[in-house]
Amino acid sequence: MTVPRTSDAGGEPSRRRSPTGPSGISRRAALAALGVAGLGASTGCGSVLAGVAGTGPPADALTYWNLFTGGDGSHMVEMEDRYRKQHPDVHLNAVTLSWGTPYYTKLALAILGNRPPDVAVTHLSRLPTLAAGNLLEPLRGDDLARHGMTADRFTPAAWRKGQVDGKQYAVPLDTHPFVMFYNVDICRKAGLLDADGRIAPITGTDGLVAALAACRKVTGAYGGVVNVNADPSTCWRWFDTLYGQLGGEVLADDGTRIVLDDAKAAQVLAFQRELTVGRKLMPSNIDGNGVNQLFANGKVGLLFDGVWQLPTYQATKLKFSMAPVPNVFGGAYHCFADSHALILPRNAGRDAHRRDTSLGLVRGLLDASMVWAEGGHVPAWKNVQDSAAFRKLRPQSEYVPAAEAAVYDPAGWYSGAGSDFENIMGFAVAAAEAGQISPDAAVRQIRTKLNGYASRPAPVGGTA
Amino acid sequence: MTTTTLAALPRTEEQTARGDEARAGWGLLAPFAVLYLLFLIGPALYGLVLSFFDASSVRTGLGSFAGFGNYAEALGSSDFWSSMWHTVLFTLLTTPPLVIVAMGLAMLADRLKHGRWFFRLAFFAPYVVPATCVALVFTWMYTPTGLYSSWLTSVGLTAPAWLADPNWAMISVALMTVWWTIGFNFVLYLAGLQEIPQELYEASAVDGASPLAQLRRITVPLLGRTTLLVTMLQILASLKVFDQIYLLTSGGPNYATRPVIEYIYDVGFTDFRTGYGAAASMLYFVVILAVSVVWFVANRRLGRRS
Amino acid sequence: MATLTATRPETRSSGTGVGIRNRHRYFTAFCVSVLVVFAAVWLVPLLWAVDTSIRPEGEVTTDPTAWFTSHPTLDAYRHVLSAGRLPAWYLNSFLVAALTAALTVVVCSMAGFAVARVRFRGRRAATGLILAGLMIPPQVLIMPQFQEFAGLHLLNTYWALVLPALPTPVAVFVFASFFSGLPGELVESARLDGAGWFRIYSRIMMPLCRPAVSAVVIFTFVWSWNSFLWPLLVMTSTDTMTIPVGLSVVQDAYGIHQAQVMASAVLGALPLFLVFLLFQRRIVAGIANTGIK
Repeated sequence: MTVPRTSDAGGEPSRRRSPTGPSGISRRAALAALGVAGLGASTGCGSVLAGVAGTGPPADALTYWNLFTGGDGSHMVEMEDRYRKQHPDVHLNAVTLSWGTPYYTKLALAILGNRPPDVAVTHLSRLPTLAAGNLLEPLRGDDLARHGMTADRFTPAAWRKGQVDGKQYAVPLDTHPFVMFYNVDICRKAGLLDADGRIAPITGTDGLVAALAACRKVTGAYGGVVNVNADPSTCWRWFDTLYGQLGGEVLADDGTRIVLDDAKAAQVLAFQRELTVGRKLMPSNIDGNGVNQLFANGKVGLLFDGVWQLPTYQATKLKFSMAPVPNVFGGAYHCFADSHALILPRNAGRDAHRRDTSLGLVRGLLDASMVWAEGGHVPAWKNVQDSAAFRKLRPQSEYVPAAEAAVYDPAGWYSGAGSDFENIMGFAVAAAEAGQISPDAAVRQIRTKLNGYASRPAPVGGTA
Repeated sequence: MTTTTLAALPRTEEQTARGDEARAGWGLLAPFAVLYLLFLIGPALYGLVLSFFDASSVRTGLGSFAGFGNYAEALGSSDFWSSMWHTVLFTLLTTPPLVIVAMGLAMLADRLKHGRWFFRLAFFAPYVVPATCVALVFTWMYTPTGLYSSWLTSVGLTAPAWLADPNWAMISVALMTVWWTIGFNFVLYLAGLQEIPQELYEASAVDGASPLAQLRRITVPLLGRTTLLVTMLQILASLKVFDQIYLLTSGGPNYATRPVIEYIYDVGFTDFRTGYGAAASMLYFVVILAVSVVWFVANRRLGRRS
Repeated sequence: MATLTATRPETRSSGTGVGIRNRHRYFTAFCVSVLVVFAAVWLVPLLWAVDTSIRPEGEVTTDPTAWFTSHPTLDAYRHVLSAGRLPAWYLNSFLVAALTAALTVVVCSMAGFAVARVRFRGRRAATGLILAGLMIPPQVLIMPQFQEFAGLHLLNTYWALVLPALPTPVAVFVFASFFSGLPGELVESARLDGAGWFRIYSRIMMPLCRPAVSAVVIFTFVWSWNSFLWPLLVMTSTDTMTIPVGLSVVQDAYGIHQAQVMASAVLGALPLFLVFLLFQRRIVAGIANTGIK
């Protein structure tokens, strides 16, 4: 909006200059043009052609999107490099995007914009929505078989989760549960280790409180840590792990019905809050960097986080190990888990050759998934999972059963990794843990926000 | 056409000249008009149509007719209203400092004979930095172990959790926005100050007016029109906030900073609910329109008075 | 001011004159000190970004709030420029901004000339319609525009960014007010010489309105370079992203390395910073004259 006020308009014409004559501006323009020419020469003109004419990528180039940073990121780069070495004829253009909601929004936009990546990573918890939105290409059994990818060679739970309405849409790469990391030295001093030097079973809420208090006595600051700030997904995983032990569920009937057990949810939230603001056993104002610093520098004994954080701490001199999250509420064994999987986003322009090359990349990444296992994930590809090398890998091989018993986020078009569902749950959990709202208020907030989604007709599925 | 004047032309020729002029007018206007209809008016009308359907970005066609259902849902949605409030809150938090501090700094800088360029550089430079870069820098400034927190700790204060505390996140975003965009208003005020005749100051100095009295009696009143312009531009700009909040907090923590544009983005693109998103857009548009009309009327009145 | 007081003997007493003068001098000193403090606060984030970017990565991690480094290095810049896609994004941003600026000038100056100087039936209606466009914030149109560009198969091309940016009512009014400020005889005498309207516009009027052109060019360029929401929606291929989108969307697989993050922030800000330094006067004059925002 503006009020044009060209007060100098009247005076200007007297200063006539030849428009083509030499002037400061045109000299600058020439310099700028020179700079652009240089830039153009150095970057090649592929992007300019794509920008001006919308031309697609060259036939020998594959674009692969993932959402891995940190330890996962560096492992994925190594896997990509192995693929490149085996397939020097393919130009692999790997892109890392921001994890979570932005990634899936971006993926959907790219598919709608007719320029999707050839291969992309997804969480299996996200698959039903992507498939219902007609955003994925179904993978034909014979195409998969040609690359040796058949059901019997994958973790069954993960392979099944890759199907929607009987069609295979995804090839699972791993299963990654939420676990407990522990600092060996601190836990030894706190008397938490058994004779073998592993953490002794912790039972009941009192047991966990006592263990954290013992660790706090050793560190002098906090006993344990779980991320609170700006990471709703981790907050949800922590909540889901505990709430599931009470047998609690959140959604039913593809997300159209809320079956949250208010009393159980409030009980879990009250316990989480007791650990932070209540007893100050864990920090209540902490972000991802802070969590890493606390655990890496031996300022806490226990850390609740995903297995994928393993490389972060392997990179330090810290002596630590991992174990399942203690079953503090005593119900059936439950912990949060999800799987990464590879998909081919829908692309009308994909010909048979490109599909074949893309599936070749999928297979190549599976074959390299021993590297992926080093990052803490349980590989879904049996060739790797059954290998001697993986069996020797500790502590990874010890939590394979957790992967086989994986229960994914509840179905619903707004559910899955980094989804509105996880945000709603996680923000409420974080607010309770930080002492900003009471457990009951958090439950009410969850109900209100979920109801906004559960009561609406799903925007995906139905008529395509 | 010869050297005769237009008025002396025979009637028919005058008519051809008129027809010629009409053709020229529309011809010159045509490129703009076509683009304007295709990419502004067209989408605006299409958006209005969309808002009455259960349209989805992953389905072809408009979907089933929803009547006023989308509007009813938005008006009854606490998420919509809280995001609307966040936009208004952001406007309330940013407009006063961006107007008052900019005016103050411009009045101070206006007194300088030398070195004004330096302050113009310092205050305006952030304005040309892209939002993404500003957000990267301030994410780094605002980390719990960052520079601002360490300053506060070193003087014995407890640093707030800038972006993580829902009570602080919007303030942190607003502070960053003041830093980022104050240069624009600063420059507008500097220009406004240039228009105040120097003789007024000289005469009042002769009468023994103190500098503060000069500011109060001459500068501030004569900047009235500039202040109206700056304030209205600022309100309209602040009501459109999205970039820096999306980049700095993604609307968190606990949705405490999500502005209405991000709400529209979330429901329209992340949730695929194009029709509902369009309805929310229209409701937001009504607010912008109301503010614009208020300004338009105020500007007209002032213009007529002066 | 001093000479003024001195040449006016009727000033009541030299004592008050000196007092006032001192007060003005003190006040100026006060102004300078306040300004210096504010300027320091304003410059800190910029300097801090540059400072962090030239420190070794390990030092930043171990001592995040230290200003001084004994080992300044350009490693972060080298890494960002070689490993990233920054050069391609630079090119995209530049071409999009340049195309937008150039075409906006052509399209909007023609419209501005028509509205200001050509008398034709419907001119008032057209002016009113353009004025109405001022009130439509582009953010309101993201959904229908996205569908429109998807339908045109223009997503992920420069045109998705350039075309919707061209019909800018503000630019039309900047040109229109400039053209109406030019003397009317110019048009009339050219008409008498038999010049056509387009010729009058292109050969006589346009060369005279360089200030308006430069204001519109600079502002369109800056606006286009910095726009975020729309490019975020339509540029989903890493080949076609602009700098603000690319920097926010594409992550470093190896995690956050602050020095590199700051280096990319500095590099992303640098081009417009240079534009600003080169054209500081024109930018400031442009804002003062038009209030484009």
